[in-house]
Amino acid sequence: MNPQVAGELDAAVEVERGSFRLDLDVQAGPGEILAVLGPNGAGKTTLLRALAGLLPLSGGYVRLDGTVLDDPAAGVYLDPPRRRVGVVFQDYRLFPRMRVLDNVACGPRSRGVDRASARHAAQQWLDRLDVGELARRRPGQLSGGQAQRVALARALATEPRLLLLDEPLAALDARTRATVQGELREHLAGFAGPTLLVTHDPLEALLLADRIMALEAGRIVQQGSPHDIAARPVTDYVATLVGVNLYAGVATGGRVELDDGGAIMIGDTALAGRVLVAVRPSAITVYTSRPDPGSARNLWPGRIDALAPLGDRIRLSVSGSPGALVDVTAPAVAELSLARGRDVWLATKATEVDAYPDGR
Amino acid sequence: MSRRRTGAGVPALLVPPAAVGAVFLLLPTIALLVRMPWSGLRDLYADSRVSSALTLSLQSATAATAASLLFGVPLAWMLARLRIRGLGLIRAAVTMPLVLPPVVGGVALFLALGRFGVVGRYLDQWFGFTLPFTKYGLVVAETFVAMPFLVITAEGAFRAADRGLEEAAATLGASRLTVFWRITLPGIGPSLVAGTVLCWARALGEFGATITFNGSLPGHTEVMPTLISLALETNPEQAEALSLVLIGIALVILTALREQWLRPAVSS
Repeated sequence: MNPQVAGELDAAVEVERGSFRLDLDVQAGPGEILAVLGPNGAGKTTLLRALAGLLPLSGGYVRLDGTVLDDPAAGVYLDPPRRRVGVVFQDYRLFPRMRVLDNVACGPRSRGVDRASARHAAQQWLDRLDVGELARRRPGQLSGGQAQRVALARALATEPRLLLLDEPLAALDARTRATVQGELREHLAGFAGPTLLVTHDPLEALLLADRIMALEAGRIVQQGSPHDIAARPVTDYVATLVGVNLYAGVATGGRVELDDGGAIMIGDTALAGRVLVAVRPSAITVYTSRPDPGSARNLWPGRIDALAPLGDRIRLSVSGSPGALVDVTAPAVAELSLARGRDVWLATKATEVDAYPDGR
Repeated sequence: MSRRRTGAGVPALLVPPAAVGAVFLLLPTIALLVRMPWSGLRDLYADSRVSSALTLSLQSATAATAASLLFGVPLAWMLARLRIRGLGLIRAAVTMPLVLPPVVGGVALFLALGRFGVVGRYLDQWFGFTLPFTKYGLVVAETFVAMPFLVITAEGAFRAADRGLEEAAATLGASRLTVFWRITLPGIGPSLVAGTVLCWARALGEFGATITFNGSLPGHTEVMPTLISLALETNPEQAEALSLVLIGIALVILTALREQWLRPAVSS
């Protein structure tokens, strides 16, 4: 085996299912955690199934460590048992009639390891994921967080070359989520191969991944580091996901005329041509009457359409030119008597506005 | 407490026919127990013809059930999982014995496997072996009639089985056979048990195809149902006593299965 390509996923995935078409290239290096982020129906799970071999490609190829797993043009297709791709399914899919230990021993057993050694290895994996004491239980006796770790142990016990996680935290309640999220990051750090993590939760992607690939309608709309994606989304979907106001327009000399009306002053005066402008909801200030001129160079009127609690804040949806999402604290809502239909003024500093060329 | 007042109560009009139905189904069994010559049972059972018929019944029904499991479960899996043209036709054909009068089934078996049958003639020519009027013929006739019960029960269960678990096992490296053996089959366990017992009970009680295909030679191909039928003409008391044995077996089966085992089979 060529050591230079070890632990490398290289795939051009084309899958057609009725009117839906998935068509994208994906690469991931050793130890890299790539989050595939997208709405329901974007093709995330289809991509995962294609890589696992549960769904044959219509075109393209999947190569792992330089080995071709699927290539319809060349007539190559390895079924899941021959792929060494570990999968943690969204609903975990632990075998209900087997003890936890035997669930995890299943992978080594399938590779021809004798029962005693397989169980020994399984116990080690469970210990490593801090669920060693659950070995004798049945899956039905586990909490969501425990089942998640057992499922991960079971996948890792096959010593996979590629690890696929389908919405790993979706089945957990909010409180368990936070804990498991931290642990998951830690456990994934110990895995040498590439990890693909499918999720529709931007926070999960931002916290767990080294790189994010945003998917819409079977295509990649954006790729980059979590920071890039959060700060500079390129589509409305990604912007909504990461909770950022996104505007498209034309920049000249530090001023952007927005396509949908209104204008925004930006710090970068050298930027010209078609640009995207991203403004974080927390970077916008709300006034109940027109304020005196201040240092904020962007000031415009609007009307509150909706208020919704978001964690420890209240997110206002304000219509205007442009419309914006604005995050305020609950005391501020009370103090300013912010309510639906209320006319307000919005302000943000040019330095808080991030503008970048529109590459679409 | 207030069960009477809930909306899901029984409409009064349904009660009389339901009661008639229940009585009708129970009456024959009750009559049999009432008329049973309890004092002379021991003598009636002591007959060596009875014990050999009972032994042969249990043996052939068990062998027929084993054959049904061996061939019927894979068949059920194919019917449930394969996506090929004409599968519906095959399904209809294999469940044919369910609706076919057993006597007709016996005649059909004769034409297929009898000494001059489509296949049977070669068994005779090449191996000097004839199936009808032998123990093996018994097993064949009972399997023919009973296997569809197992097939339809298992097929329904295979359809309803969780495919996600099979996929998970495949990603863990399990071969298709391992997945079938370790995941799919245990997954349909309750239905399989119910189907197997129904199949065995059907084989044990099989009369029409059995007597048509094998006759009823004492000590040879005479089983409980054929013995009872013949005894009814010559020794009615013995027929009644022998019926008691089969009722006893039926009761044991029903008790053993109870609802938890029987229900999935019925609902799927």
